[in-house]
Amino acid sequence: MASTAAPEIAIIGYAQSPSWREAELTEPQFLFPVISEAIERAGIERRDIGFTCAGSCDYLSGQTFAFVMNLEAVGAWPPIMESHVEMDGAWALYEAWVRLQHGDIDIALAFGSGKSSPGAPAEIYPLQMDPYTLTPLGADPVSIAALQARAMLDQGKITEREMAEIAARSRASATGNPFAQVTGDFDVDALLADDYHTAPLRRHDLPPISDGGTALIIATAAKAKEVCERPVWIRGLDHRIELHQPGFRDLTESQSTRLAGQNAGVGDAKVDVAELTASFSHQERILRTELGLGDDVEINPSGGALAANPMMAVGLSRFAEAARQIAEGGKHRAVAHATSGQALQQNLVGVLEA
Amino acid sequence: MSKDAAADAHAERPPADGVSPSAGSEASVVGMDYFMHLEYRELICPVVRRYSAALLEGRLIGHKCPKCGLVYAPPRGYCPIDVIETTDADEVTLANAGVVTNFTVVTPVQYYGQEETEPFAKVSIQLDEPGGSLSLQDVIDCPVDEVRVGMRVEAVWAPKKERDVSEITNRSWGSAEGSIRGWKPTGEPDVPADQVMQAGF
Repeated sequence: MASTAAPEIAIIGYAQSPSWREAELTEPQFLFPVISEAIERAGIERRDIGFTCAGSCDYLSGQTFAFVMNLEAVGAWPPIMESHVEMDGAWALYEAWVRLQHGDIDIALAFGSGKSSPGAPAEIYPLQMDPYTLTPLGADPVSIAALQARAMLDQGKITEREMAEIAARSRASATGNPFAQVTGDFDVDALLADDYHTAPLRRHDLPPISDGGTALIIATAAKAKEVCERPVWIRGLDHRIELHQPGFRDLTESQSTRLAGQNAGVGDAKVDVAELTASFSHQERILRTELGLGDDVEINPSGGALAANPMMAVGLSRFAEAARQIAEGGKHRAVAHATSGQALQQNLVGVLEA
Repeated sequence: MSKDAAADAHAERPPADGVSPSAGSEASVVGMDYFMHLEYRELICPVVRRYSAALLEGRLIGHKCPKCGLVYAPPRGYCPIDVIETTDADEVTLANAGVVTNFTVVTPVQYYGQEETEPFAKVSIQLDEPGGSLSLQDVIDCPVDEVRVGMRVEAVWAPKKERDVSEITNRSWGSAEGSIRGWKPTGEPDVPADQVMQAGF
């Protein structure tokens, strides 16, 4: 595919804000130090950035053109070349990655940010659904995820105990992640003793509501080698989307993840670690299966989306965490995954290498 | 579509009697009203809290960028031009008078929720030293057709007991609503319009 023939591009800097349940700072205010840190870690100057792409959602903050305010954290004077996607920052990374392949600039900034705390996600998210049948029903992400988990349980693809084990492992892994929100050691039997939140999901199967932001700096091969001691190479990047209506597909599978993984080259060599946006515990099983990640692959050492879920940044955070596993953790090959829509409707997969 | 036409279109909708009209006929097009309501509640960030507290005292405050000298009102906690953070140490008390740099006369359309009935002006004001600018301000004691670029104005504060900052949010950059009732002409000679039209901040 085109992705494997593309010019070499590397991640040279990354930074994240903590994941807050309710941030006191505004989005541009908390993005400000994040973007500055990513630039500093990349060893470049702000003016070296040739292209900027942001991912955010005005519905979350409840402010039209909120994404324009976020540019104040980037510095847009003298005028810069920039773009925005109403999507997770991982898709901003995709646009920046495509933009660098034009060859006329050598450094790009991608960032994602969101504050979910001011609004009610269960009321906002149905607005992205089919407006005739599902929006009026108030089909919120938790309800749709519960239908997905129910289908998996009914088909024997997972058990409630295995879901709790995924949640417990994620929270335990997150204790080492200074940006995480839900951390600690939890007993699986104790988790299973909880009442259902939305059957068959218990609270531990759900992601937290989070505010936060993530920034990534990428560069062409020549520039990356010049400024960075350990560039993290993006060997493949692909995203695929499925039908909007969740009733039209098998929710226990994810063809789009499988295709994106194949096109990104996940199976071409051994994977050491994967950072997956499994916002609900059972989704980790679907993603592992579709990406062909066996028991020897470390999954979500950061704790993943179950530990910190800043909407519009959580997917890009998977790239930051996967890159960190290589640049700081000595791993050789990592997979990063981001998702959008309901019940894994759209999926983006990247393969990163030392 | 006029209000009456909209009402007529509404009336043409088929009755909800469970009988499907034949496909392709005009009556087969069914409209559906869907009313949505989203409520947002957010913490007010520290610099805006401080700005609100100053309004209750009858003061406008801003941050003066230590590098370029531009004044931001209310303070943002950073200068987006120089991309540096600003702090309480950069706080300045702003002037109560300034000059209109541009304006818009709004002719209200009576959509749902519109409370205005007569044309009104919203103006941007470049404040006197140490500077700073406020946008979307109300003018009072001045007919709409006399509002002009270069006009000198001063703040009309609400009496202390009546000041209310409950409408000030993180997103209301430049608003002094609830504390400053509006800006009235000072009667001083105008500043030449071409000197202020380019004022961005």
